Amino acid sequence: MPEDRPARITLRSGGPDDTRALAAALASLLRPGDVVSLSGELGAGKTCFVQGAAQALGVTERVTSPTFMLVKSYAGDLPVVHGDVYRLDRVRDVEDLGDELLAADVVTFLEWGDAVRSFLPPDRLEVELLLDDPEDIDADRVLHLEVHGTWAARAADLATALAPWVGPTAHAC
Amino acid sequence: MGRTDGARVLILAIESSTPRSSVALAERDVVVASASLGVPQRHGEFLGPALQFCLEQAGASVGDVTGVAVGVGPGLFTGLRVGIATAQTFAAARSLPVVGLSGLDVLAFRSRHVGRLVCTALDARRRELFWAFYRQAPGGMQQVAEPQVGDAGELAAEIAAQGGDCLVVGDGGLRYGDELAAAGADLAGPADAWPDAADLAQLAVPRFLREETHEPQSLQPIYLRRADARIGWQERGRMHGGAG
Ligand SMILES: Nc1ncnc2c1ncn2[C@@H]1O[C@H](COP(=O)(O)OP(=O)(O)OP(=O)(O)O)[C@@H](O)[C@H]1O
Ligand SMILES: [Mg+2]
Repeated sequence: MPEDRPARITLRSGGPDDTRALAAALASLLRPGDVVSLSGELGAGKTCFVQGAAQALGVTERVTSPTFMLVKSYAGDLPVVHGDVYRLDRVRDVEDLGDELLAADVVTFLEWGDAVRSFLPPDRLEVELLLDDPEDIDADRVLHLEVHGTWAARAADLATALAPWVGPTAHAC
Repeated sequence: MGRTDGARVLILAIESSTPRSSVALAERDVVVASASLGVPQRHGEFLGPALQFCLEQAGASVGDVTGVAVGVGPGLFTGLRVGIATAQTFAAARSLPVVGLSGLDVLAFRSRHVGRLVCTALDARRRELFWAFYRQAPGGMQQVAEPQVGDAGELAAEIAAQGGDCLVVGDGGLRYGDELAAAGADLAGPADAWPDAADLAQLAVPRFLREETHEPQSLQPIYLRRADARIGWQERGRMHGGAG
């Protein structure tokens, strides 16, 4: 089934705490089985985003980058599974990250998820983080959120929950 | 490997290709012990203790086991591989024959008394299912077409093409019940939603008796999804030294 062009919401974050705060606001819309795919350069703030969302989902353990461990599970009000495909060579290697990834009773966050799109479920939220100035690690981040599949039904609620961060984008995409 | 008819036949069965893992021991066609793990998945931690439990319940020791049956999917990748590796290790260490069976076949075996078309359908995640169709035949259920992977719409279309007179068994049927029922299918209840090691053992025993067995190392998981692709990191030009 060809997908209609997915709806997009663009946000602006002024710092790591701001990224965590907007991710926490978004987390109020997350349900078991949800999949959030994160993309963006090294250091764009993918892990930072997951930290904010996980904390809002009741995870008390500190969320760290799974870049070397590839996947980590956290207990919370909703269980959180945080994966990173950066070290993988083949799409199917994602299955090596274990069966908790994409399970129906957890929320899955996957860093570099755009690299393994063909493995992802059609119902997903894609979050892309961009540095407003690629030369400056402390630059504002521009976040593009794209709703795919059944996530489309949540686009309006997303826009409402994230209204404080909706801002003009400096990047033409 | 010829065994006389009177020899002991004690089959260890391991099924961990779905969120519900199980282990069973069957003495010929009688299941003498079984253990299963309720849905969420910790196969690795479960299989060893479950095996011990089954042996104790059966009053048997590891040395009494004469063959190993294992579910080879399609299913959850990690659970599947843990199950196969466990079966291989156990069998290789004792030079035992193995039998690998599809979870779809094992589910169908449960419905072997249903005198109509049976479709076994397992949730494949990513809004897809694994499925196969079966009919009663002398000596058991016979698969009537190659197993497939696809979405509920595709399965519903196949069911409709079969005239809709079909019983759908498995967690895929439960998850996508509305779409499948609209195509005319009847849905089995949640009791039969996942392949079970006790059924696997019973289905495998005749193969051991007929010596239709394999070497442990030849076991392969069943993948139904399309061939693997490389991740195009280089083309993305992002990392591994690529231009930013
Ligand atoms: N607005 C912002 N949002 C998020 N992080 C920011 C922001 N501004 C600066 N930073 C800094 O950018 C870095 C983001 O690191 P983080 O580990 O989250 O990135 P990542 O995208 O997960 O990288 P990797 O690809 O290595 O996993 C942190 O050092 C953080 O302090
Ligand atoms: Mg990271």
